[in-house]
Amino acid sequence: MRLFKKTNIDFMGVRGKMYFASTIIIVVGLISLFVKGINYGIDFRGGTELVIAFTSKPDYGQLRGALGTIGFGDSEIKSFGNENTILIRTTKQGEGMTIANTIKDAIRANLADKSFEVLREDKIGPKIGKELRQDASYAVIASLFVILAYVAIRYKFSYGMGAVLALYHDVLLTLGVLSLLDGVTPLLNLEITQEIIAAFLTIIGLSVNDTVVVFDRIRENSKIYRSLSLQEIMNRSLNDTLSRTIITSGTILIVLLVLLFLGGEVTRGFAFTLTIGIITGTYSSIYIASAIVLDNSLRKKKE
Amino acid sequence: MRNQLSKIFLIVAAVAACLVFLYPTYQDYAYRKKLTSLSGQDSISYLDQNQEDILKAKLKRLKLGLDLQGGMRVVLEVDVIQLVQDIAKNKDDNFLAIIKEVREQSSNNDESVIPIFGRKFQERGMRMSRYFGNIRDADNVVLTYLNGETEKAVDRAIEIVRNRVDQYRVSEPNIQKQGTRRIIVELPGVKDEREVQTLLQGTAKLEFRLLRDPAISYRVMQSIDDFLSGKVAADTSASSKTAKKEEKPKDALDDLLAGNKPTTSDTTKEAQFMREHPFFSYVSPDQRNTGEGYVLENNRDRVMRLLARPDVQRLLPVDFEFLWSAKTDPTPDGKKFYHLYAVKRVPELTGGVIVNARASVDPNDNRPIVNMEMNSDGSREWARITGANVNKRIAITLDNAVFSAPTVINKIVGGHSQITGMESPNEARLLEIVLRAGALPAPVSIIEQRSVGPSLGEDSIRSGLNSTLWAVILTVLFMLFYYHNAGAMADVALVFNILFLLGVMAGFSATLTLPGIAGIVLTLGIAVDANVLINERVREELAGGKTLRASIDAGYAKAFSAIVDSNVTTFLTGVVLYQFGTGPVQGFALTLMIGIVASMFSAIVITRVIFNIMMDKGLTPNFG
Repeated sequence: MRLFKKTNIDFMGVRGKMYFASTIIIVVGLISLFVKGINYGIDFRGGTELVIAFTSKPDYGQLRGALGTIGFGDSEIKSFGNENTILIRTTKQGEGMTIANTIKDAIRANLADKSFEVLREDKIGPKIGKELRQDASYAVIASLFVILAYVAIRYKFSYGMGAVLALYHDVLLTLGVLSLLDGVTPLLNLEITQEIIAAFLTIIGLSVNDTVVVFDRIRENSKIYRSLSLQEIMNRSLNDTLSRTIITSGTILIVLLVLLFLGGEVTRGFAFTLTIGIITGTYSSIYIASAIVLDNSLRKKKE
Repeated sequence: MRNQLSKIFLIVAAVAACLVFLYPTYQDYAYRKKLTSLSGQDSISYLDQNQEDILKAKLKRLKLGLDLQGGMRVVLEVDVIQLVQDIAKNKDDNFLAIIKEVREQSSNNDESVIPIFGRKFQERGMRMSRYFGNIRDADNVVLTYLNGETEKAVDRAIEIVRNRVDQYRVSEPNIQKQGTRRIIVELPGVKDEREVQTLLQGTAKLEFRLLRDPAISYRVMQSIDDFLSGKVAADTSASSKTAKKEEKPKDALDDLLAGNKPTTSDTTKEAQFMREHPFFSYVSPDQRNTGEGYVLENNRDRVMRLLARPDVQRLLPVDFEFLWSAKTDPTPDGKKFYHLYAVKRVPELTGGVIVNARASVDPNDNRPIVNMEMNSDGSREWARITGANVNKRIAITLDNAVFSAPTVINKIVGGHSQITGMESPNEARLLEIVLRAGALPAPVSIIEQRSVGPSLGEDSIRSGLNSTLWAVILTVLFMLFYYHNAGAMADVALVFNILFLLGVMAGFSATLTLPGIAGIVLTLGIAVDANVLINERVREELAGGKTLRASIDAGYAKAFSAIVDSNVTTFLTGVVLYQFGTGPVQGFALTLMIGIVASMFSAIVITRVIFNIMMDKGLTPNFG
């Protein structure tokens, strides 16, 4: 079975348009981030979070009233997975689990007719929140550095830069999309938690996968087609690897969609982030990474 | 075929190893199913018969993370400000004012507390030695001392927490030190968070309790045994009890004390013994006549249950209590047992009187000892107690667990005691920590707490397995359709891949979390990539006109560099992720990393071997 005949698409030729398209999407995403702010989960902000499963759909007004009686009326209340389960979150700090216990008592008192089960209870102190934020930034920076080093050593420094800039582009794009789509439907809870950071790091790891395969082909073709220009070699390489790139990304995408729909609420944000990331990662490996290397070398020739 | 042989051998060995590693997981699952299918009495007896095997399977099986089992994860941090306040002497208003300022300042930034203290003192131009240590000590000496005390406090807190968690009988608890002042406590399966909070906080209770006379101890044990076997009616009048005891010879007890235990080869005699002596079946009296009982680790829960019964409790005389040893001792054949001590209910002395304790070595015989110092009130009481109880034993208990039960050799005046009889320097160090724990609190605050209810855990397992199943099915089908024979090979490699992944995880006792399952699902996609690279390359070579064999060779050779580069980079991000993440996220990084290595092995070695074998046999695998 074949999905791709021998293609001859001029990828590098349209790179100007692709730069433009990427810039637009990234800018839109950044505006959304700026306006909405980064939606940190309690992992990074500190606070208390409860996931409570009622036996039947609770009245949000009643809930908020109950929380109001103990001074937590401004807590976030969201649905979690299905309509009977809610997530309550407050950033207020308290000693140990006192906040969680007070909230549970208040609900028990005010919604006496509804029994519930606590699915999950989390409390994060302020220091930990700050540390996790720091750790997360270090992790992302560290992985970008590590990849820069590896690709630079195996290929050339400009290739390393191309790879890393493409990754940077992926991260920004995905962040932007997450920010745009967060809260659009109650099914999609896209706050930034530890798992989402893990998803970003995975995106970095997978996207560079595709990019490196293309680079490897460019390196090989450079030795074979000595008479062609860099642009033509890159086009050739991209066309050669197109079949593999699409198939692999497609397979991973299928697998991620399975996770997204069947994996349950807890991993939904994670799976969604990865899905967006794979799409942008494939796109950036085809259009952006090599384009940057090409433009860099053209610039050098002019000098 | 010759050069394939070594590769085949390698593959078979790897598969066998993985199966061996994974077998306990299957065993544990089978036992669990069996136990839930049996009811009540049957399940208890099944548990008894197979207890050893069940425990062994449980230990070696693939571990589930808290997010899949349900349970609690708590991060404790030593409250340094409170600790400094507790250590300080001659506290005056100046000092309290400083404490207040330090508290305010440290809540805003996360600079370490002790340097802030140093600064505050400097600002005021006061010497820290006014409140700490020796009056001649310079400030930096005091600061070093305070830092040291903080670290020791963490060790104390860990020991206290470990002691209490042990008594709470949580299965597979995990207590770890993190950095210099944090403790991570993981308690699987724990549901009642409020109880657990009291477990983890609150000052430890150190007590000195006299052991009851051995004769009394044995008499009580005998009466429990008689009562449980139904020989004595459950009445509480003391006179009738003693009357009945005089009627019966204490044959069971005497037998046991003389060392006549029923041998395991004689099962009917053993079963009869169990029926006739429900208490002594599990509690062996110490043959040296110390009054202690020995209980095998496996039987501790059962004996605890027996002793907790209200009708058994009523058999205990006034001022009598059974306490357990904190740690186990090994038997000659490698099992572990606890000591059961009979002590007075009312403590002779409580921990507040201890001023200092230090583990050391006796210069005369090089054996480990602990030197203990008491304050003036304590010294006076201690002289009285030791004077009146020479040659008797006193149990040192922390939160009702006995850490040591040394014999009083002579009256101790002046409050300086030396405790001997410890088996190892570690035991001495433990006792030092325990004595200081009762004396000096190690205040901790909970800075992070996460608990997952068991039903969410079950849901997560179910959706995890479900998605893995579907991911596998879809991937397998796709590879078959697109690459035909070669696709089938890739599918075979996929199966090996999962086997290796799970086997390695079981072998290293790694923990499977929900993101970890997501990692497995993702690995499927990545694993396919290597095969896609190879197959696409082979197709190219075939299109270029090479023979099948040459195309396969060329395909593998040329795809190799791409496979290595792309997998290494993903692996490296996995490493970074493992460093940064905690708990569930680390589980994901782990499955990702192992999965990548396994997929490289499967794709490069296994499929190649299969192709080579096929070609040797003259078959022509189809690459679609």
